[in-house]
Amino acid sequence: MTERTRDSAWVPPMELDPERAVPVPAVEEEAIIAGAAAERLPVLLAEDRPKSRLGRWLVGGIAALVLVALGFDTWDLFTRAFATSIALGVLVASAVAVAGGAAVAMLLGELRSLRRLRKIESLRVEAERLSTVETPAGEADRFAGSLTRLYDGRADLAPALERVKDQVTDAHDDSEIVRLLDREVLAPLDRRAYQTVLRASRDTAVATALSPAAVVDLAVVLWRNLKLVREIAALYGARPGYVGSLKLLRRMLANIAVAGVAESAHHVAVEALGGSIAAAISTRMGQGVINGLLTARVGITAMHLCRPIAFGPANRPSLGQIRKELLSLPKQVL
Amino acid sequence: MRLPIINDLYDAGSRLLGRAGDLVSGGILEQDVRLGVTGLRRAGKTVFVTALVDNLLKAGRLPFLDVVSSGRFQASRLRPQPDPDVPRFELEDHLASLTGPDPHWPERTRGISQLRLSLRYRPNAVLKRTIQPVATLNLDIIDYPGEWLLDLPLLHQSFSEWSALTLDLAGRPPRDELSQSWRGWLATVDPAAPAEEEEARRGAALYTEYLHACRRSENLLSLIQPGRFVEPGDLANAPLLTFCPLPGERRGRGSLWALMEDRYEAYKKTLVRGFFAEHFAKLDRQIVLIDVLGALNSGPAGMSDMKRALELSLEPFRHGSSGWLDWLLGTKIDRVLFAATKADHVASHQHNSLRHLLDRLVSDARSGIRFEGAQVETMAIAALKSTETVVSEHEGRQLRCVRGVPIGRDRPTVLYPGEIPEDADFPPGRERPYNFMAFQPPADLARETRGLPHIRLDQALQFLLGDYLE
Repeated sequence: MTERTRDSAWVPPMELDPERAVPVPAVEEEAIIAGAAAERLPVLLAEDRPKSRLGRWLVGGIAALVLVALGFDTWDLFTRAFATSIALGVLVASAVAVAGGAAVAMLLGELRSLRRLRKIESLRVEAERLSTVETPAGEADRFAGSLTRLYDGRADLAPALERVKDQVTDAHDDSEIVRLLDREVLAPLDRRAYQTVLRASRDTAVATALSPAAVVDLAVVLWRNLKLVREIAALYGARPGYVGSLKLLRRMLANIAVAGVAESAHHVAVEALGGSIAAAISTRMGQGVINGLLTARVGITAMHLCRPIAFGPANRPSLGQIRKELLSLPKQVL
Repeated sequence: MRLPIINDLYDAGSRLLGRAGDLVSGGILEQDVRLGVTGLRRAGKTVFVTALVDNLLKAGRLPFLDVVSSGRFQASRLRPQPDPDVPRFELEDHLASLTGPDPHWPERTRGISQLRLSLRYRPNAVLKRTIQPVATLNLDIIDYPGEWLLDLPLLHQSFSEWSALTLDLAGRPPRDELSQSWRGWLATVDPAAPAEEEEARRGAALYTEYLHACRRSENLLSLIQPGRFVEPGDLANAPLLTFCPLPGERRGRGSLWALMEDRYEAYKKTLVRGFFAEHFAKLDRQIVLIDVLGALNSGPAGMSDMKRALELSLEPFRHGSSGWLDWLLGTKIDRVLFAATKADHVASHQHNSLRHLLDRLVSDARSGIRFEGAQVETMAIAALKSTETVVSEHEGRQLRCVRGVPIGRDRPTVLYPGEIPEDADFPPGRERPYNFMAFQPPADLARETRGLPHIRLDQALQFLLGDYLE
């Protein structure tokens, strides 16, 4: 709107009729989120979907076959049960109905959680755009609106959201509003998420150090990591289902392997070194520390992926404190 | 030149002693920070200090001040001032005039004033937290006229250098008209002639008249040197203020030129150096308020005058550049904020353009300063927000305007003041591109319990004091 004004004919300074002025309008909310999602979606698809189309056909075909087989079997079951007695038939029918209903509800839940994840993703893109590109004023209000709706019904965040609403005036520009939301709403969440990560990595470290068999600590580590990811996602408002968590975990593994997120090779070296010092004290303890660090990396990556506003250089969580904590663990246990 | 050096050594020595004393006595338990507030072109120093103190006392509108937003801030209160010989900043009077039943802007202040505010907070830094769970920061706000800051560069200029610069400036528009009678007088006197007190007084009077005219003129010229000529206080007619720039080279003993030079040096020694040693050298942080919008209103001539004044005012922060004398004279100021005030006189989407404009004005000098010492930042702020941004339609186009009550009227108006281009000071080829108006303070501020409404005052505070409040 503003850009257009600037480009076209120049308007001399003047006074206007006060009666006809209105407060700066907020643009329709859905439009921008949908727009951002649409912008982002192809990339997401390209990332997430398998490359070969044949694979998809195969999966689809098999799924259809299984569904048809299931249908036949159920029908068979029905007729046989009704042939035996009416009561048994009704029982089977209600069991089928319950199973079917539960399956559909689960599917819907999964779909909704996926949508939430995607929404967070689009919010992050939007936040990035608002703080770097100069946008016509009013878009940040919309961003704030969608963030508020994401955290609707969260009693722990209600005061913070209320505070932001209070403090934003018409003089704040978009990047300031985004920064304000970041500081007021997300910073406390970051602290809690960091504590969660710390706890989880300590758990895995201790479990690994104390477990009698390798199989047990493998199971513990896997279970604890999955739980950690779900906890963090829930904290940031993603509430992922099973598919969602798996998806998150998969994307996270890719992130840990490829981008290394905030950590550089230097950090990895330090970790390995720290690990080997601990290993010198005790092999199991060393393994515990390394497993703990791995969990911490998983958790911090989850924080990066679930946060509606990307971390800046100043508030990016680091492994530093976790590392310190973990390296002091041998001393505590021994 | 001998004496000043001894003076400098003495000053530096006493300052070092003072700093050591700070460390030994209250340095660990209570920290002191001295914030200098000054302004060019009626930038609203008084309102700024009033709003700053009010907001720190109530702490309800400072989301970008880390110590407040992270919940570590406890309270702040006014305390007795530390320096017995500096007048107190009349906070209560100024606040009363802003929040009273008939709100009006406070009277402009003359001279220096000071106020001490103590802030209590829980430190974030681990080391500090272990030593003391609750820390106290004494914030001394020192408010002094912008002309005094512009006087500081005189310390490096000899009389003949200064005369040449001033004469050059006075001969250029828009100053040439204002300085006509003084330059007329200059044409009639012979600097080499024997000194006559009568002549000197006449020259000084005409020169002072010219400076007053500069300050009064609708272009609101900012560069006024020496500053005490327009605010003499009890020094009016003292020989210290009875000189003026003279053309030509140095003349012999007993000449008018020599008399003027002596007085110029005395002015430097007594007033400028005194201000420097007693106040400026003790400052830790500095904010320079600038009425950029006023300069834009007055057109390219006013802008270029302000650019010059800004460059000069940056000079004192350029420490460590020229030898050991500078090192002794150097300030401790390590952060300087240049703030374009009255940002509420433009619609909010223009704040960025305003800031870019200020950036351009200080950019040359700024890079040098960054390299040598102090950190320099620019912002567009409003100490007291007295308008709101609205949208209005004009010939089928949506214009972003400001709504407020202009001074001298009783009903609000909606003003489209003109838009500042992103990359230039003025839209090309326009006669009167801007019309920034002065607005009255908003009504019923008295009921405000969260502090006076402002624009980016909290970000300014974060830049100026954030690291002290860690």
